[in-house]
Formats: sequence, structure tokens, C-alpha cells
Amino acid sequence: MIRELSGTDMLYLIGAMRWTVFLTFLALSGGGAIGLLIAACGASTRATLRYLARGYVVFVQGIPLLVWLFIFYFGLSIMGYNLPPWIAATIGFSVYASAFLGEIWRGALISIPRTQWEAGLSIGLTYIEQLRHVIIPQAVRVAIPPTVGFIVQLIKNTSLAAVIGFVELTREGQLTTAATFQPFAVYLIVAALYFSLCYPLTRYSRILERQRRVAR
Amino acid sequence: MSLVELKSVVKRYGKHTVLQDVDLKVEQGEIIAIIGRSGSGKSTLLRCINGLEPVQAGQVWVDGVAVHDPASDLRALRARVGIVFQSFNLFPHLTVARNITLGPMIVKGLPSAEAATLAREALRRVGLEEKIGAYADELSGGQQQRVAIARSLAMAPTIMLFDEITSALDPELVGEVLLVLEAMAKEGMTMLLVTHEMNFARRVADRVVFMNQGRVWEQGPAQEFFASPKTDELKSFLSSVLH
Repeated sequence: MIRELSGTDMLYLIGAMRWTVFLTFLALSGGGAIGLLIAACGASTRATLRYLARGYVVFVQGIPLLVWLFIFYFGLSIMGYNLPPWIAATIGFSVYASAFLGEIWRGALISIPRTQWEAGLSIGLTYIEQLRHVIIPQAVRVAIPPTVGFIVQLIKNTSLAAVIGFVELTREGQLTTAATFQPFAVYLIVAALYFSLCYPLTRYSRILERQRRVAR
Repeated sequence: MSLVELKSVVKRYGKHTVLQDVDLKVEQGEIIAIIGRSGSGKSTLLRCINGLEPVQAGQVWVDGVAVHDPASDLRALRARVGIVFQSFNLFPHLTVARNITLGPMIVKGLPSAEAATLAREALRRVGLEEKIGAYADELSGGQQQRVAIARSLAMAPTIMLFDEITSALDPELVGEVLLVLEAMAKEGMTMLLVTHEMNFARRVADRVVFMNQGRVWEQGPAQEFFASPKTDELKSFLSSVLH
């Protein structure tokens, strides 16, 4: 049953990349939305909100990503919720991403000097308006390098979804290896494909970083 | 009622008392210089007037609004009370024009065309029309401070607060900022200035207030105040800053 590694395999691998991108995108959307909330609470002047945000981050980060995936896939199915792998993976990665993004963005928010808040406040802006027009645009620049760094991590970590049966790039690599028995060639291709996703992101973050101005 | 009226104001940070029973009245059109050693509560006093710092006791009335009352609409008040800070605090990610139009457009809902006219007018008053498209980091300290003044002016404030606005400037840049203040004074703006520029205070202010140990220690008409200080504390302060 062992066959040669062919152009078709290459196409399958490239095709599987889209599931890696798809999962990353879903995790970023879900994780980003919750992460924004966590960051806003974490940078709040209200102690209760800060403790809640901190508690969430510590709790999520204290549990391995793989375990989160098992919880949402195997755990929930025992409780009667049979989630398809891609949904379980989306929830798991979203939870994981929300804690890291929340913490990164909280750091960016509190890095903007208090005087910028005051300048906004003293022309009559509300808290939300200060955030939207003054703080967030500046915090974005601070947050770009670590956020992109995290996205690169996230892209690579989506390979863990292979263990709950989600066929993305790594899983496709395993399947191709099983058929061709050429692990070295196959995984080199897989590695090159991951690199082709991650490298442009890193470059892009450098460019964005140079374009924005921020209070020091 | 006076435009600004402080009655027995007390401000504490934890156990440290910064303002102790401060009483102060400011009439429409008055120019008041507040002087004193660092830590005497001058800046805090200013910040209490537009509600940047809540007070622990006493009353702060500004233009009929009870600033000391947490239920008051401070947002509406702050749109009428301009404040300029020692460190300029321009928004570095926005152009000069946008720095100035942000308040009028968001707080007052002004259309962008009108706001742009307003920005040009405000910049003209501080003599910086040509910098309308610049960013803060392309301006000198003096220019940044003048833009900060224009940003406040664009809100058409009924009173302006200045918190040591020349203290962070190189000596050769102080003059251009003081000129702008003098022009505003001539136009009849009500102004409260915390300042270390004694000559400027003597020349421009109607009244000078000396703060010491969190209290209004002595106050009086500018000429008289500098010519014949009454308390020993003011005498020793004046001699230390004027010689």
C-alpha cells in the first residue's frame, strides 16, 4: 500500500493549510472578543473587575492547551454534548487565546501614560470615548509585536487539534506519511508550509510598528 | 455667585493632607496666579476645580456646577473648563488638527467642516496655523504647549486652568507661550495659573494666591502682593525665588 510521494500529496498538504488558517482565524475571533473584555476589565479602575480578569487569565493559563481541547471534545461529549472536532477545537483555542490576548492587551492599555487619560477626560470625553479615540489607537501599536508573536504561536499550536481528529496541516502530514512512509520529506514540506504562514506575519508587524505614533 | 467658588475644601491622599480648608473665589474675567513651593497643593487645587481629583470635604462650585457632588455632570462641565498641563499631553497619534477637533466633534457633535474652521481659528490665536497637519513629535516643546492651549480654546471654555505650563520648557521657549497667555488675558478670559514665572504673575495677574502647607496662606492684588508681603512664609518664599 506504500506509494511514492507525489504532486497530489503536495496539493493535499497545501489544501490542509486552509484548515490551519481557518482554525487560527476562528480562535482569533473568539479569543479576541473575550480577550478585549478581559483586557478592558483588567485595566479598569474597579478592583473587582481587575480581580475577575486576573482570575480568568491565571485559571486558563494554568491548564495546558491540550487539556482544554480534551475537556471540550471528550469531556463535553460525556455530558451529552457531542461537538464536532472543529467546534470543540474552536472553543478550546478561543479560551486559550482569550487569556493570552487579554493579558497582552491589558499590558498595552496600562502602558499608555495616565496623563493621556486625563487629557481626554479634561476635554469632556467619557471613559469609552477616551478608550476609543485616545488610548486604544496608541495601545494598538504597543500591542502589535506581542500580538503577532502570539498569533504565530497560535498558528503552530493549532497542530494540537490533530489529536482530537481535526484534519489540519500536521494531521494531513501524518496521514501522508502513513501512506508514503517518507516522514522526512513530508515533514520538511509541512515545516516549510508553516514557515510560509508565519514569516510574512512577522514582517508585517515590523512595518505596522513603524507607522504609528504613541505617547512615551 | 462667583464663577469659581471653593468652600473649606479638603483633599487627602490616604493619610496625607494636600489641601486643608481652602477657600477661594474667582470672578468672571479675573486672572489669578497661584504660587508656592512644590508640594504646597497648587496643582492639586487646580485639578480639584475641574474634578480631575475628587475632594474629601468642602464644596467646589464652578459655573454653577457642584463639582464636589459625584452626581454632577462633570463631562458637560469639563467641556467649559479648559486645562493645560505641564507635560502638554497632546495626543501623539493624531495630527495637530485632529488633536484640536476631537473634543468639539465628539463632545459637542460639531460637523467636521465646522470643526476644521475652528481648529484653524484656534491655531491662529496661538500663532501656529502652518502646523495644522503636523504631529506632536515634529514640534518643539513651546509649539506643543501652544497647540495644547489651542486644543483647550477650541472648546470655547468659560475658564482656563494652567498647571505650570512653562515648567517643562527650555528657557528660550517660555516667552512664546507666555505671549499667548497674555493675549488671552487681554481678551478677557478667566484664568487660573499655577506658575513659577513671578515676573509674569506680577505683570499679568489681577490677584496672586500664595499656597503653603495645603492652605491659601496669603493673597492680594498683584502689585501689592509682591511689594509688601505680610506673612513671613511669603517673604521667605519670595526672597528665595526672586534672588
